[in-house]
Amino acid sequence: MQSLKRNALSMSSLLGLTFVTMLAAQLLVFIYVPTEETMGVVQRIFYFHVPLAWNSFIAFAVVFVCSILYLRRRDMKWDRLARTSAEIGFLFASLVLITGTIWSKTAWGTWWAWDPRLTTTLILWFIYLAYLLISAYATEESRGARYAAVIGIIGFLDVPIVALAIILWRTQHPGPIIFEGGLTGAMLLTLMVCILAFTLLYFCLLVQGTSLRRDRNEVKMLKRSIDEGK
Amino acid sequence: MYRSEGLKGSADKILTIVWKDIKSEIRTKEIATSLVAFALLVIIVVSFALEPGENTSTIAAGILWVAFTFAGVLGLSRSFVLEKDKGCLQGLMLCPVDRSLLYLGKMLSILVFMLVVEAIIVPVFIVLFNQHGFPPQLLVIVPLATIGFAAVGTLFSAMAVNTRARDVMMPLLFLPIAAPVIIAAIKSTGLVLSGESWGAIASWLGVMAAFDVIFLAVSPLVFEFVIEE
Amino acid sequence: MENLEYLAAAYSVIWLAISVYMFILYRRQRQLRREIDSLKEKVKEKGG
Repeated sequence: MQSLKRNALSMSSLLGLTFVTMLAAQLLVFIYVPTEETMGVVQRIFYFHVPLAWNSFIAFAVVFVCSILYLRRRDMKWDRLARTSAEIGFLFASLVLITGTIWSKTAWGTWWAWDPRLTTTLILWFIYLAYLLISAYATEESRGARYAAVIGIIGFLDVPIVALAIILWRTQHPGPIIFEGGLTGAMLLTLMVCILAFTLLYFCLLVQGTSLRRDRNEVKMLKRSIDEGK
Repeated sequence: MYRSEGLKGSADKILTIVWKDIKSEIRTKEIATSLVAFALLVIIVVSFALEPGENTSTIAAGILWVAFTFAGVLGLSRSFVLEKDKGCLQGLMLCPVDRSLLYLGKMLSILVFMLVVEAIIVPVFIVLFNQHGFPPQLLVIVPLATIGFAAVGTLFSAMAVNTRARDVMMPLLFLPIAAPVIIAAIKSTGLVLSGESWGAIASWLGVMAAFDVIFLAVSPLVFEFVIEE
Repeated sequence: MENLEYLAAAYSVIWLAISVYMFILYRRQRQLRREIDSLKEKVKEKGG
C-alpha cells in the first residue's frame, strides 16, 4: 500500500512538473520570444515542431533498446515499454508531419516540398506504423512481441541510412529546407524550454502507458486464475 | 553433442537449402515466369503515364526500379508462403541447423531468383526505352541493390507469413526499410543511363553497400526470433 | 500578422491530439482499475 501511494505521488508530481513546464514553454513561445523577421509569426511553429521531432527519435531509440532487452531477457516489461514508446513516438511523428506540412504551405506555398528532415520523418512514421501493425496483426501475443522487437531493431538501424540517402538525394536536387537561420539568445532559450517540456511529456506518457499495459496484463492474469479455480 | 564442422559444413548446409529451392523452381518455373511477366507489366503500365520520347533517363530508371521493387515484394511474399503451406518450414526447423544458416540459405536462393528475373528484364527495358546501350555500372548497381532487397526481404517475408493480412504486411514492412536502397538504385541507374560514370554514382553505391553490410550482419542474428515457434 | 490561422491551426492540432491521447489513456486506466478491483473481489470469494 505504501509503495502504491508513493507511485501515485511521484506520478502526480511528474504530471504537475510537466504541466508547469508546458505552460512556461507556451508562454515563452507566444509572449516572450520576438517574431522572426524573414518568416513572420508562423515561424513560431518551429518551437513545438522541433521538440516533437527530437522526441519522436528519442522514442524510437527507447524502442530499440527495449526491443533488444526484450529479445534477450523475455521479460514482458521491456515489451510494454517498447510498445508504449512506439505509440508515443508515432503520435509525435504524426504531429511533426502535420505541423511541417502547415509550415511548408506558409513558407513555400506547397503542402509538401520533400524537405530532407520531413521526408526522413515520413519514412520513420511508416516504420512506426509497421511496428504497431505487426504487434496487432500477429497470430499470437508472444509472437507479436517478438516480431515487433525485430522491427524495432531493424528499423532503428535503418533510420540513419534512410537519412543519409534522403540528404544525398536532396543535395543533388536541392529544394526548400525548413528553417536554416541562426538562433538568437531568446530563441535558443525558448527552444530549450520547449524541448524540456516535451521530453517531460514523453516520460509522463511513457509511465502512463506502461502502467496501463501492466494493468491490462494483471486483468488477464486474474481472469486466468479465476477460470483455473473453477 | 556433435562436433562443429566449421566453415565447410556451414557452407554445405547453406548450399543444400539454396539448391533445394532452385531445384523446385527449375521444375515448376512458377516464380520466375510470374515475376518476369509482372515486372514487364508494371513497366508497360507505368509507361502509359509518359509520352514516347519523353523518356529521360531518370524517369526510365525510376520505372525500372518500381517494377523491380514490386516484383521483388511479390517474389519475397511467395517464398515463405510456399514453405509454410507445404509444411516445409517445420521440416527445416527440425534439422539441427543453425538458424542463421537457414537465413543465409533462403536469402541466397531469393537472391538468385531475383537476379535471374532482373537479367531478363534489364535488356528488355533498355530496348523498350531506347537507352543508348548497356552501361556496365549496372552490373554493380543491380546486384548491390538486390542483395539489400534479399537481406531484409527474407526476414520480413518470414515474419509476414505468420501474420494476419500477410499480403499487406509484407510491402508495409519492406518498403520503408528498403527505401534507401530503392532511392540509391533509382538515382544511380538514372545517372549511368544518362552517361555518367563511376564517380557520379560512388556515394549511391556507398549507401547501398552500407545497407547491405549492416543488414547482412544483423538479419541472421534476429532471424531465429522470427522463426521460433 | 499574416498566416495567423496557420499558426493557430498548428498549435491547436498539437494540443488537441495530445489531450485526446491523454484522455483516452486516463479513461482506459480507470476502466481497468475498476475491472481489477472487481476481479480481485471474485478471487477472494472463490478463496474464501
